[in-house]
Amino acid sequence: MAYSSQSAQPVAVRPTTGGRPAATARLRRLLPYAFMALPVIYLAVFMFWPLGRQIWLSFTRTRLANPNRSEFIGLRNYERLFDSPDFYSALYVTLVYSALAVVIGVAIGTVAALALNRPFPGRTLVRAILLFGWAVPNVAAALVWLWIFNERSGVLNSIVTSLGLERISWLTSTDMALSSVLLVTVWQVAPFVMLVMLAALQSVPQEVKEAARVDGADALNIFRAVTLPHVMPTLQLVSLLVAVWSIRRFDIIYLLTGGGPIGSTSTLIVKLRQVAFENHDLGLASAYGVIGLILALLVAAIHAAFNRRRQKGQS
Amino acid sequence: MTVSSIARAALLASAVAFPLHAQEPVTLVIANSQWLDALRGDSLWSVLKEYETEAPNVRLEALGVPSKDYGDRMMTEFGAGMGPDIAILQEGVFFALADAGLLVDVGEAVEGVELNATKDNGILDGVTLGVPWQRAVYALIYNADLVERAGVTPPTTVSELIASAQGVQAETGAIGFTSRHQISDFSGFYMDFQNWAYGYGVDWVDGDGNLTINTPEAAEAIAAFKQVYDARIIPIGDDMPTQRTRFKETQVGFSIDNSGGTLNIASGGAMDSGLIESMPLPFPHPGAHQQIYVAVNANSKHPDEAMAFLKWLVTPEAQAALRKASGPDALATDVPLDEAFVADNPWAPVFAELATDSRSVLIPGYEVETTQIMRPVMEAVEEVLVTGIAPEDALAKAQGRIDQMF
Repeated sequence: MAYSSQSAQPVAVRPTTGGRPAATARLRRLLPYAFMALPVIYLAVFMFWPLGRQIWLSFTRTRLANPNRSEFIGLRNYERLFDSPDFYSALYVTLVYSALAVVIGVAIGTVAALALNRPFPGRTLVRAILLFGWAVPNVAAALVWLWIFNERSGVLNSIVTSLGLERISWLTSTDMALSSVLLVTVWQVAPFVMLVMLAALQSVPQEVKEAARVDGADALNIFRAVTLPHVMPTLQLVSLLVAVWSIRRFDIIYLLTGGGPIGSTSTLIVKLRQVAFENHDLGLASAYGVIGLILALLVAAIHAAFNRRRQKGQS
Repeated sequence: MTVSSIARAALLASAVAFPLHAQEPVTLVIANSQWLDALRGDSLWSVLKEYETEAPNVRLEALGVPSKDYGDRMMTEFGAGMGPDIAILQEGVFFALADAGLLVDVGEAVEGVELNATKDNGILDGVTLGVPWQRAVYALIYNADLVERAGVTPPTTVSELIASAQGVQAETGAIGFTSRHQISDFSGFYMDFQNWAYGYGVDWVDGDGNLTINTPEAAEAIAAFKQVYDARIIPIGDDMPTQRTRFKETQVGFSIDNSGGTLNIASGGAMDSGLIESMPLPFPHPGAHQQIYVAVNANSKHPDEAMAFLKWLVTPEAQAALRKASGPDALATDVPLDEAFVADNPWAPVFAELATDSRSVLIPGYEVETTQIMRPVMEAVEEVLVTGIAPEDALAKAQGRIDQMF
């Protein structure tokens, strides 16, 4: 056998100096750290340092124009925050807005992905059109929607009045403002969800679906028993992303309503901007930011808990 | 004395007479949101560029920032130890930066110059921190052609304004009246609303320095604004640039705007500026103005050159040139309106007259905190407009929130 005859040959080994293998081994040990250094430095400079600074600022009295002259005041900013009805209102709006953005955005995106997962003529074109909302920059999207919502000359009210109905105050009434902001949010978020879910759906093994079909399962049962468990990790991940983005979304809300009317669309992040730049109070604004951060971490923790439970179930 | 020693002496003498640093090229960055205004921005900047012929070693560089972001950006940059050498600042931002000690004493630049009353708020605790740039006062403007076609009369009271604006709408199909009315444009909204407040005699602060938000005068002002809002004469949802463009395109009957905004409307649009008329606000008392100051950044590397620039800015020649580019805005010194300009812009003299008794949009004694105070006030106004709650109740809530702050 070729293998045994070759292995029987004596192997010439180059004499080595005593230090080289040790140096190579050390290099090998250090190599992962070298690869990690750049992202770690990046994260430290652009994420952890600003984050740490923000947390520190939330314990200080700091004016916007004098950020380097802070006075440590302990938990005073948090006391002010928890004493303020504005905070609870902003927290409530943030929770409602984020929850609805996740539920509606993920539901529409998933349904669209399911529809586009089937072959039909012009599917590529339809996908491209549906992705349009995701591709448009947020600021441009908000400005376009401002025109669409315009009470006097907007497209929506032209349709409404042509139906013989009264004009609707899309952005200037407390009843409609949050719904209008949500509409724009979902218009932007759903295409992203669709794209991700489409990729997940295309990775569902066809043979398992076929096997279920042969066993007599109908479309709904196949979805419930085969497709859904397979795409569930992606669905959870995309929900987490949409939730975190919604908690920290600023541009669309600020440009459409500025947090109004009467605070009905004022989320924590919109409030943060107001406190920092109108009241010049960086300390209190940072406290708002920390609460937003805690909310986002809570959502991530819930996601991690679900993940762990699912993995346990699978094992 | 040899030729070489004479040459050395001459070189030394010239070095003393013209210090090297005076000859070094210096770039002064001047920030202003107005640089981005159509036509007006170019006109104002070309006036300042004349300084380069006076000081050949100085090059001026314009930093234009959109007005909505201007204050935030200046505050952040100055606070971070950066920013332009010279900034042209709305009064609110000016006070905040002055309070933070980020502006240079520019008293030397205006020594011996007879400045008018616009200088007053630029002097804090006896120190001159700002040189007046422009004072934009508010007036009621109207499209004379639409008013004539509608057969209505220019109004002197709020109820007449509603009737005339409704007449314009009914007879011509144009928009009756434009005004900021949304919290999404908070800064502009509160400054515009001060006209209604001051017009009804509001002071926001009493003689002892206490904030007096919930007053009968304030309730009356909000009620009057609510009347106009409910009369369906305002294009609800339009922001101010859109409303100004509509006026420019001859689609608006009446508007309450400041002199800078009106100059913008009168420049470069479909509307003949001769068709814009103006008159005092339809309120019992005088209205408001926005004061703008030129200030030198304490972080500037070229404070001496910046000071020399300010000295030039208040010379009669520079002020006369600035007058041509500033429309009817009051300047640092009393420069009469150009006759040719008035002939083309019959709306201008009224603004100049109103500037004599108008009031700052800032609350005396609370200049730095004015935006913080006006946020609950404007939310009260918005609540009245949107929900129909009584002005007194909305103001009582605002008073409670403000009392908690101070």
